[in-house]
Amino acid sequence: MNTEGLRNKSSAEEENNININIMVNGQSYSLAVHPAYRLVDILRNDLGLTGTKISCEIGRCGACSVVMDGNLVNACLVMAYQVDNQVIETIEQVAIETIHPIQQAFLEEGALQCGYCTPGMVIALKSLLDKNNHPTEEEVLDYLSGNLCRCTGYNGILRAVQRYKNESLSIHKFKL
Amino acid sequence: MRLVRENFPSKWKVRPDGLAKVTGTLKYLTDLIFPNMLYGKVLRSSYPHAKILSISTGNAEKLEGVKAVVTHNDVPGMNRFGLIFPDQPVLCDDVARYVGDAIAAVAAESEEIAELAIKLIEVEYEPLEVIDDPEKALLQSAVKLHPGGNILHRAGYKSSEEVMNVIKECPYVVEETYETPRQMHAYMETEGGVVVPDKNGGITVYAATQHGFKDRMQLARILGMPESDIRVISSPIGGSFGGKDELNIQPYAALLALKTGRPIKLHNKRSESVRAGIKRHPMKMKMITGADEQGKLVGHYVKIIADTGAYATLGPAVLDFAVEHSTGPYLIPHVDIEGISVFTNNGVSGEYRGFGGNQVTFALESQIDRLAEMMRMDPLMLREINIRNAEDLGPLGQRIVANDGAKNVLSMIKSSTILTAPLKRQDNWCLRGRGAAITMHGGGLGFGRPDPSGARLALTKEGEIEIAFGFEEFGQGLLASIEIMMTDMLGCAKEDIKIVIGDTDLVPASGSSTASRSTNMIWQGINKLKEPWRDKILDAASSVTGVQKRKLFIGERGVWEKGVKNKMIITYKELAKSFSHNLPVCSTQYHFPTTPDAVIGGHYLHTYAAVAAEVEIDQLTGRIKVTKLDHSVAAGPVVNPLGYLGQIEGGAIMGLGFTLFEDSIMEHARYHTENFDSYLLPTIKDIPLSTNVDVDESLFESDIFGPRGVGEIGTVAVAPAITAAIHNACGIWVSKLPVSPEELLNALELTPFLFDQQEVVE
Ligand code: FES
Ligand code: FES
Repeated sequence: MNTEGLRNKSSAEEENNININIMVNGQSYSLAVHPAYRLVDILRNDLGLTGTKISCEIGRCGACSVVMDGNLVNACLVMAYQVDNQVIETIEQVAIETIHPIQQAFLEEGALQCGYCTPGMVIALKSLLDKNNHPTEEEVLDYLSGNLCRCTGYNGILRAVQRYKNESLSIHKFKL
Repeated sequence: MRLVRENFPSKWKVRPDGLAKVTGTLKYLTDLIFPNMLYGKVLRSSYPHAKILSISTGNAEKLEGVKAVVTHNDVPGMNRFGLIFPDQPVLCDDVARYVGDAIAAVAAESEEIAELAIKLIEVEYEPLEVIDDPEKALLQSAVKLHPGGNILHRAGYKSSEEVMNVIKECPYVVEETYETPRQMHAYMETEGGVVVPDKNGGITVYAATQHGFKDRMQLARILGMPESDIRVISSPIGGSFGGKDELNIQPYAALLALKTGRPIKLHNKRSESVRAGIKRHPMKMKMITGADEQGKLVGHYVKIIADTGAYATLGPAVLDFAVEHSTGPYLIPHVDIEGISVFTNNGVSGEYRGFGGNQVTFALESQIDRLAEMMRMDPLMLREINIRNAEDLGPLGQRIVANDGAKNVLSMIKSSTILTAPLKRQDNWCLRGRGAAITMHGGGLGFGRPDPSGARLALTKEGEIEIAFGFEEFGQGLLASIEIMMTDMLGCAKEDIKIVIGDTDLVPASGSSTASRSTNMIWQGINKLKEPWRDKILDAASSVTGVQKRKLFIGERGVWEKGVKNKMIITYKELAKSFSHNLPVCSTQYHFPTTPDAVIGGHYLHTYAAVAAEVEIDQLTGRIKVTKLDHSVAAGPVVNPLGYLGQIEGGAIMGLGFTLFEDSIMEHARYHTENFDSYLLPTIKDIPLSTNVDVDESLFESDIFGPRGVGEIGTVAVAPAITAAIHNACGIWVSKLPVSPEELLNALELTPFLFDQQEVVE
């Protein structure tokens, strides 16, 4: 169990802290944090998991997307008291030994430029594909409508999803 | 040629920074954490225009966890910054001129404490009269925002004294006033970074910028410290689009770092980014354009008022660019263009992808479409009649590099299926229409403006071929382009290459990564270094191996000997070992190509683009959906097809946002817009699912300038193509962006529209 945070804390802050237990990317942590502290701060500041980004901090852009207990959430809107005993998956967990096929498809199809929205996009798509490996275009559009990208105009992202679908289809066919 | 993988198989490359980006392992400068780091926060003015009577920081300083508070008294050097004229206070001393003006800054143990401390700073203001409109700023009675008055800059071009007279004689005249919004760059990563002080009194600045050396120069001036004591590390960047070229948080983090002796992280919240960050210049453009019976444009009269906000930044250059591009790719014998850039207490306007071109192109192309309707002529035919020829002079009468791009993109877009396939005009509540627009866009800073670049090629002691440029990677794909050009021009493998950018201690000055100049400057640089490099490497290889130089060539992994079967005779690694004390280095300095004619700001290299759009209008809500968008682009040879495609596609959606949604709304010089809940960026559901990009790669034989940059061109002509399609769908002309669904609905009620009225005469 890891209790070390990276953040400097002042004694004033520590007074009202609550203890939370949280499982992030398969590792459990026990932390003392302010109840209104946000999940995105825990990830970025306390655990050093900076793959999760911050951009709007009001739930409008999806740059901070993570999976909490199987659901896609905006980590900027989740408070510390809400994550006690929860299982969190961040972008750092998506590629462990090899990269995920959707990440490969992102690379091939130019689904990223500055890359700042990319972790959020990837985690959002992965959480969709985990549930449904062949989403319709409509489902993809709906699912990604909370993830903003200012660089790509999204065309590359849609190409990547198409490639993913084609390839997983061909693997599937091959197996049959 | 269609820009798809099949047509560019060998150049369709995964970007070198891609893996770190898709896995989230790439550290942006705002992700950095240093031991002992403090958090900075800036106090911004409570008023858009006010005298500052006193600033008292005592209570903030007393707060536990606060380590420093700085005000104008703590600025050791020049308390001003600005890319052209340093007129913006780092920390206001006597007057605040907009709501983004910085008054004080705090360093504390945590962001929360810093935020609290900001609230404890007491500032006594005396509110002054606010100018929230450039036309008000021009009134005799208006208060003066700067000692020189309220006019930042005037620019104009007149090719004849007769303009209004010849227009009066024209059988077809269109007069209209157009307005464009205060578009926000809305990069996903807001401005931020860390400044780390060192033991010798210097600092390292880790913060995004488009021009590390310019930041260093401006910071040296502010901090009263030699440039050599400042190191600027400025890539990677989570988006910029022109918005991070000017200084933003760097001076505050630097002042606090020097005062506390500790690293300072300062990362703007979105609301602060909106408040303090620059925007696209809102412009009001009056155009009167006349054509003769045959459809030849005869006279074009233009008046532009740009709201430059409280400070100059690149305002003068943006206006010059707008004036120059007011005639687009057309030949018009009588032209009179006047522009004025005016100070107000509104948000500061500055550099933004397209650089004043987007605004005037919207107005100009709308004029052409209105004229075509008046003449009952096909709008593309009208363009064809007036389009420039390859050898014609540029829009300011300056010589430009001859190129058929304007004609080529026009003829390419004519065959877009958006324009040729049958269109179902109406079903249920939906009206459909289609339209097109074209543009030409200058690259580089223009005549009379220092626009130098540098490049360095070296063999490292590890045997890597190190290429160094002072450019920045903000997503545009610069690293991929460098890699492709290096393997292409030097014959090496991508594994042989080490790319160094974004660090003033390690790279040569290359100028700003702006004005679509980087691709061209990189190509020029490598092109100039290619021969000396080959020479040095082959000399070295020959002296080590004893094989005659003429039998050798540089290739993948090392130097090869020509033969029936080429064979590798020494690897770069081995070569580096043998020459560890005298490693080959080649450097070069050069300038962006400029016109030989002394026309200040005049551009020499151009790109050309045409856009076709199809839209659907919901008659119940007035909502517009762009359903298809095609592009033709002429920008010389395609270096990096995937990057090129991304620039056009991404630029187009930024243009779509400019047309339909985006405006940073201000009232009485205060922002209503604070974040993405009140500033609507296009989402994935707002984009056309069908988009094609066709490219014309041709250059004339005499054209030695290589590939042009495409960072801006994809965004310039999108608005007029969409508004032409809107008119085609419902008969309503839009003259103000973003298009308001409410206004469109009202107009639809007033104008019952029958399709057969608008059938054009071919
Ligand atoms: S930062 Fe969380 S949704 Fe934007
Ligand atoms: S790649 Fe830059 S915001 Fe999406």
